Amino acid sequence: MAAPRAVVPTQLAIGIGLIVLSAVLAVGAFRFPPEMGFVILPAYVYPYAVAGFLCAVGVLLSYQALSGGFRELDGSNPGIAGGKLGAAWVTGGLLGVALLINLIGFVLAAGLLFACAARGFGSRHPLRDLAIGIALTLPIYWLFNAGLGVSLPPLVNAWI
Amino acid sequence: MDILANLAMGFSAALTPINLMWGFVGCLLGTAIGVLPGIGPALTVALLLPITAKVDPTGALIMFAGIYYGAQFGGSTTSILLNTPGESSSMVTALEGNLMARNGRAGPALATAAIGSFVAGTIATILLTLFAPLVARLALNFGPAEYFAILVLSFTTVSAVLGASMLRGFASLGIGLTIGMIGLDSTSGIARYTLGVPELVDGIEVVLVAVGLFAVGEALYSLLYQSEQAEGRHRLTSLWMTRADWKRSVPAWLRGTFIGFPFGSIPAGGAEIPTFLSYSTERKLSRYPKEFSANKGQGAIEGVAGPEAANNASATGSLVPLLTLGIPTSATAAILLAAFQNYNLQPGPMLFETSADLVWTLVASLYIGNVILLVLNLPLVGLWVKLLQIPRPYLNAGILVFATIGVYGMRHSSFDLLLMLAIGWAGVLMRRFDFPVAPVIVGMLLGPMAEKQLRNALSISEGDWTIFFTQPISAFFMALTLLVLLVPYLLHKRGIKLHEDD
Repeated sequence: MAAPRAVVPTQLAIGIGLIVLSAVLAVGAFRFPPEMGFVILPAYVYPYAVAGFLCAVGVLLSYQALSGGFRELDGSNPGIAGGKLGAAWVTGGLLGVALLINLIGFVLAAGLLFACAARGFGSRHPLRDLAIGIALTLPIYWLFNAGLGVSLPPLVNAWI
Repeated sequence: MDILANLAMGFSAALTPINLMWGFVGCLLGTAIGVLPGIGPALTVALLLPITAKVDPTGALIMFAGIYYGAQFGGSTTSILLNTPGESSSMVTALEGNLMARNGRAGPALATAAIGSFVAGTIATILLTLFAPLVARLALNFGPAEYFAILVLSFTTVSAVLGASMLRGFASLGIGLTIGMIGLDSTSGIARYTLGVPELVDGIEVVLVAVGLFAVGEALYSLLYQSEQAEGRHRLTSLWMTRADWKRSVPAWLRGTFIGFPFGSIPAGGAEIPTFLSYSTERKLSRYPKEFSANKGQGAIEGVAGPEAANNASATGSLVPLLTLGIPTSATAAILLAAFQNYNLQPGPMLFETSADLVWTLVASLYIGNVILLVLNLPLVGLWVKLLQIPRPYLNAGILVFATIGVYGMRHSSFDLLLMLAIGWAGVLMRRFDFPVAPVIVGMLLGPMAEKQLRNALSISEGDWTIFFTQPISAFFMALTLLVLLVPYLLHKRGIKLHEDD
């Protein structure tokens, strides 16, 4: 737990972030194109209300962050050693699938994600994981394509 | 009674082989994901939403409902044997149930959880059968002003009651409302907050946010902050409950049911609160207070029976506002609403008139599903336990692959996958600082609804804002909202906290 009256910078950043978001909403609403005809409640009223609400919440959270931190928060959560590396693997896998799925096809991209995520969670057999990932996604691919009519991108791209 | 006639009709439709099959698949999947930590009913239904393109609405909704309450059944198994609750609502079960398991009574704990879930689920379904048509008839009189007031009440309850801090709940709600505004405004036709990204003109799918927050966010968070539990798994023992076990369980089941059902049917953000309430009730009423974990006891069976019953009753209870008003009160119910909307079905009072056969088939399937689940869970519990042997890397990697398929399958956009990743990291931040997730989902889904009702109400009143306080029903809901805002404060003053440790 933080000492009373202490300033907690990360939490303050969250509070300020919400205030900034509310400002973005308000500016955006201000720049909506004008509406034609009879309008009972213009398109900007509700966004303004949400912006005001977010701003108020942001101010109060910032105040809490400045005066000892968020209330009722279990502050002692140091994080796990090596957790960041694992999270990086998972993030990398997801990034990879987003960028590659249209290039190398669904099954390979998903298999790659499986291998990366398994690595992030502590597995040390990349080739085996890749094989499991592909073995897992193949039936899903057929199930979705044939059974549910959800077309996924080609199995493997033609040029591979 | 026309309820009985309707129900009979529903049963005849629900008992057809194809619908029975969907119910069975739903219960099976629900139990499985309930048992597996890290994947919950909201996520599963979200991932299966694409089937709405192919499967008929009755079958799909029967399956989704099966997943919803099947997960409540399965969650208890993990809590009792592993002490890692599969679902957040089985957190209290983990307290007493795991303690019982540690003292060689895993069997009776599992039995009281499963039978209690069955009893509670069945009673709650009866209550649903009786009350839902009444609420629907009442709701036929609701106009836009009343709906807007109900939505304001929902916003307030889902953010204020759940979680440790009302303020952080409101922050989550505000973020949800903001996400809900992105895209075309249906009334004015203005594209709002799309930042020039064409994908955003259609708005952000609730599935994408749910999958990002639940699957990706959970996976990253567990890597960063949750150490692996080294604690061993407990052995299964005979499921046989003694006479004393029955005597102590039955009243706890009934109390749990009557706590869970009303809480499920009001927008209080899911099953966490009723389970905690049931637990503290059982602790106060028990004649064996020494057995409770707080007193370093052996684990009290009431502490498993009550909360598990409450848990299931609240899942069924949450179908009342969903079906009759179109208002989801939990994250899973919110995804179910999206499923209805995929079929161009708008849950609400009219649903009982326009799609009576679908509603009653769904209700009948709940009765059947409870029986299926009892059979699936009691004799087959050993089988479910085997699921827990899937290595953690593969389980999590599999969940992420499914998440990717679910999101990508919607409209084949790499942008959606990037957005899912970004929302996942936002979810990590939210969990790190204890911001509740349910208000985000509810806010983004109900926000646009609220704006529409607000517009309709104001066009009826010709721009007079006092309509919300002069119409009696609307004023009543507004007053209730005020009460919800004050109650946590009052509870806090009396020293009552909705926390697991006290």
